[in-house]
Amino acid sequence: MSETEHQKCYIYAPPLPEERASKRQRTSKSNPQKHLPERLQTYRKIWSHQEEKIQATLEEADRVTQEKIVNFVSVASQPEPEHRQVSAIPTGLVIAGPSIASHGPFFERLGRRIRDDTNSAYFVLTSGESPNLKTLLKNLIKKATSRVDDDDDDDLGRPSTSSKNGPKLLDFDLGHLQEWQSRNRVQSIVVTIQDSEAFDASILIEIVDLFYSWLDRLPFVLLFGIATSSESFEDRLSGKSLRYLEGQKFDVTQSSEIIEKLFSATVASTDIPLRIGPNLSRRILERQRDHVQNVQDFSNGLKYAYMSHFYANHTSIFLDENVSFEHLSSDMFEAVRILPSFRRWVEGMLEEGQTQEVRQLLQSDQFLFENIIHLVKSGHETLSALSIASTVFTNVRESLQMSPDVPLSSIWTRAASGEMIGSPLLRETMLLIKKIPSDKLVQLLTSMEDLDTASFTIDINAYRHELADLVKRNVNSTPLRSQHDVRNDSLRTTVVAQKVLLSKHKAALSEQDKAYSELVARFHDELDDYFTSTFINPRGLILSEILIYDLKSPHTEVFQPRPRFAIERALASPHDYLGCECCGADLGENGEVSLSGTQPSTAILYQMYLESGALINVSDLWSAFRAIAGDEEEESESKTMALFQRSLAELRYLGLVKPSKKKTDHIAKTMWKGL
Amino acid sequence: MLPDELLSQLNTEFPCRETQLRQLAALYSTHLPSPPLLCAHGLTATGKTSVIKSYLSASEIPYAIISSRECITGRHLLERTMAACLDAREELSARKVDRRPYARTESINTLAVSLGRMMEDWDGGKFVLVFDGIDSQREAPPTLLPALARFGELIPNLSILLISTLPLSSALHKPGIPHLHFPSYTRQSLLTILNTSPPKIFPVPPSADKFPGYTPELAAEDDAWLWNRFLGAVWDSLSKNTGRDLVSYKNTSLRLWREFVRPVVDGTFGTRDFSRLMVNRRHLFQLEDSVLDRIISTPDTTATATAAGKDVLPATPAAAKKAAALGAQHDLPYYTTYLLIAAYLSSYNPSRTDVTYFMKHSDKRKNRRHHASTKLSAKKSRKIPRHLLTPSPFPLDRLLAVFRSLLDGPVPQVADVCTQIATLTSMRLLVRTGQGAAGDMLDTGMRWRVNFGWEYVRRLGRSVGVEVGEYLVGGVDV
Repeated sequence: MSETEHQKCYIYAPPLPEERASKRQRTSKSNPQKHLPERLQTYRKIWSHQEEKIQATLEEADRVTQEKIVNFVSVASQPEPEHRQVSAIPTGLVIAGPSIASHGPFFERLGRRIRDDTNSAYFVLTSGESPNLKTLLKNLIKKATSRVDDDDDDDLGRPSTSSKNGPKLLDFDLGHLQEWQSRNRVQSIVVTIQDSEAFDASILIEIVDLFYSWLDRLPFVLLFGIATSSESFEDRLSGKSLRYLEGQKFDVTQSSEIIEKLFSATVASTDIPLRIGPNLSRRILERQRDHVQNVQDFSNGLKYAYMSHFYANHTSIFLDENVSFEHLSSDMFEAVRILPSFRRWVEGMLEEGQTQEVRQLLQSDQFLFENIIHLVKSGHETLSALSIASTVFTNVRESLQMSPDVPLSSIWTRAASGEMIGSPLLRETMLLIKKIPSDKLVQLLTSMEDLDTASFTIDINAYRHELADLVKRNVNSTPLRSQHDVRNDSLRTTVVAQKVLLSKHKAALSEQDKAYSELVARFHDELDDYFTSTFINPRGLILSEILIYDLKSPHTEVFQPRPRFAIERALASPHDYLGCECCGADLGENGEVSLSGTQPSTAILYQMYLESGALINVSDLWSAFRAIAGDEEEESESKTMALFQRSLAELRYLGLVKPSKKKTDHIAKTMWKGL
Repeated sequence: MLPDELLSQLNTEFPCRETQLRQLAALYSTHLPSPPLLCAHGLTATGKTSVIKSYLSASEIPYAIISSRECITGRHLLERTMAACLDAREELSARKVDRRPYARTESINTLAVSLGRMMEDWDGGKFVLVFDGIDSQREAPPTLLPALARFGELIPNLSILLISTLPLSSALHKPGIPHLHFPSYTRQSLLTILNTSPPKIFPVPPSADKFPGYTPELAAEDDAWLWNRFLGAVWDSLSKNTGRDLVSYKNTSLRLWREFVRPVVDGTFGTRDFSRLMVNRRHLFQLEDSVLDRIISTPDTTATATAAGKDVLPATPAAAKKAAALGAQHDLPYYTTYLLIAAYLSSYNPSRTDVTYFMKHSDKRKNRRHHASTKLSAKKSRKIPRHLLTPSPFPLDRLLAVFRSLLDGPVPQVADVCTQIATLTSMRLLVRTGQGAAGDMLDTGMRWRVNFGWEYVRRLGRSVGVEVGEYLVGGVDV
């Protein structure tokens, strides 16, 4: 290392180990990443479709709000002659909801529209880049004039070339903006405070004051992004600033609604090759409801699921539409033959005695390939039919105005996990259809007509015509009723030997009602058949492993990590991680691992810590520690003490204890397990 | 001396400021020498800046105004002063001034020297330098005011005029400064000023075919008549006690006006039925809504008007607004709501009562709480309800513990809970307090505080089916 002594830096080359590490045991030469490029390409193609859908849905979701804001901006910037003596800054309060992460993209889209649709300049300011008024103004000016920041003269911020032609404006002087405005002549300067809650109230008040005093020269329009409510925003400003502001409130679509729309566009739509399974989608939706409401997070979760499927599952190559037999290696077919659904299929065929085909499937790659292509295609169709059926079902419930209001996402999830057939939800809906009066049936049929009818087998039009005829012939003003309608039942009471007997009687049906009942019964049966045939259990599909991704494992770890739980578990039961014989050997009676000297010293100390109260006597702790970790001999005590001190320091480093002034020789416990 | 007609013209433009204008005219005239320093002071909306500005521009005395509101730092003020002086000079002499010597104004000394040099180059003539709102200058150096006060002595022909809210006498460290006081307008003056421009009763004039006799002149007369009486009523009922300055008074009156004259526009009352109008519209003068400044001007006046037409006593706008706000509230995620409730409870309950309220196995919770409240009742007369006090700080683990005990069933220990706390912090619903507030977020000694009130948390609690009052020590009698 003599030559490296005078070098400032060098590349550290660790000494190569003599022999290979013992853990690596794979000996075969096969390439584990075969066909990876093709799979990635398929993934990119499929995901780009999904991403387009997501973008389109998002744009559509806040189109109305954005339009309103754009209108507001363009009206506010109109030079009104009698309002030339400006009384207040036009202000839009954009209630963007508590999902802070989606504010950024929202305001970005808004900015694009404002720039396109009105003659305005649009600048976004965030709390991160505006710690004080000066920096905020500097940033604003920099964004407006797209001037390069020259970092000389520290905070005074004067360009070095100034002394040639007299005084120059300081960096944070709005005069720059005025100069820029005189060149560009925009109708309004829209300044957006993206996360108004995170700004210091004093800065907001100062900006408002400053902008107001410049309002006669610069046409400012302010937009505030608000996560809580406009009232709490107003409460933070002073009365004077409120007087300088005048405007409107805009509500952004609730993120739960957007998520619902996104779900139906991405997961529950018809033409997607890879589907997210019910467990995973339930998990994603639950997380949205319970923890974060965030559109970005939803699409990230979806993307991660797609990536996991294509990166890790070899058989996902068959989702590529252009896959050809020549390019595939035999490993792929071996992989397919291992799939549980394939085995089930083959076993089923064996029971039916189709041995010839089974032999071919197992031996001929070409035959298997053809079968796979066919099965994948039919699987797609089945799954799309399932999605359509869910949409139809949601639609039926909506137009019948049934309560509780079950969103498509939850219906789809239930359907995809095969719980729909025989569920109370379905039964209840079908019963209601039996009783439907004619005016509601008209509505129902009309709403069903808008559906994508590609795989929807019922001929809605025929029913409509028939119904229209019936209604036309109906002379009464009341709608037609089917025979199951409660209004056609009547209760008859008879008293026999002091007992009251209730008996139900069908009222006599009119000719039209009979015809109508027959129509409704037909419609009901057909719809029932349709739902029974489409709401299958997708997990029973052959090759469902290729078509559906429903693994919990990497998703949970990536999106819902549990750092505190992991640390606590490692300390409280180190055996779970170490897996050694010595610690796991002496299991306590109730399955808990008891203390033993062989455990890591920090873990021992932590378990003692768990048993103690809020204040811990260090001396007691030490004697307890010595009893477990140390041995009787006197000379090893110093070693035990060293271990003890190190463990205590580690606990302190983890933030579990801190020194306390309440009692001498005591430390305070600051974290409790399981929180 | 200024021509008298100019003075009278300014007097019509700024009514009720005759004394101040006369004093200005006496102090600043083209021919007579002016005082080196004058301090004009008065509360907000008393016409200080506009009167002085109009006077100076009308009297053709060269001047420059620097508004301290637009100056971010003390240095900025100096730079702007220099630039404004140069601009004023260039404008006056209509020729380019060599600006190179004035390129930098780092300190008050440089400003003194530069101004001196500039005044020297100037061929005689006086120059008035007005500092508007100098008392609220941001990051002002301590020497700024005393130094400015002495500029007039150092530099010949220069008069400094300082405009401030309160008299500056002590801050200047200089005796014998002339002060010009702009007193607040009296009721009479306010009425005079506002009467100069009455708003219209009819936003769209009534059609000439139906009412051929109602000429615009007649309408203007009616406007002025009704407006004058209306102003008096607003003053006596609202503005006298809430906002006596011109701007608040004007805003309040304008906010009420449309609603006030609605029966006249509808045709229920004639334009001169003032007393009946007052009785009919008395609810307007009983509410505080019109006095408060709000960003969102009263939404959709037509909607409330139709409601008001039907009801005997129309729904108060405050209630309507509250209802609208409730509907527009964005839902928080499920656990986030619970986190906020838990934070509120840990802020307002003393930690020693946690065992009573949140231990799962103490099923005698209700009895115990009842017991506690009876014990309190002995000295109840002095106790302020807890929810009216300021929130006290709590450690994070206590929040998490309360959070878990509020919820039925286990909550997984996921990082999302911490993420939500961070989100709530950036929404300022939770605030970090104590010595660690600026320091490490992960420090366990960190203490937190809630930043929302009882009303908010009660609404949150009801949205998830938790009656927060039941968990609050001492209870709430709302």
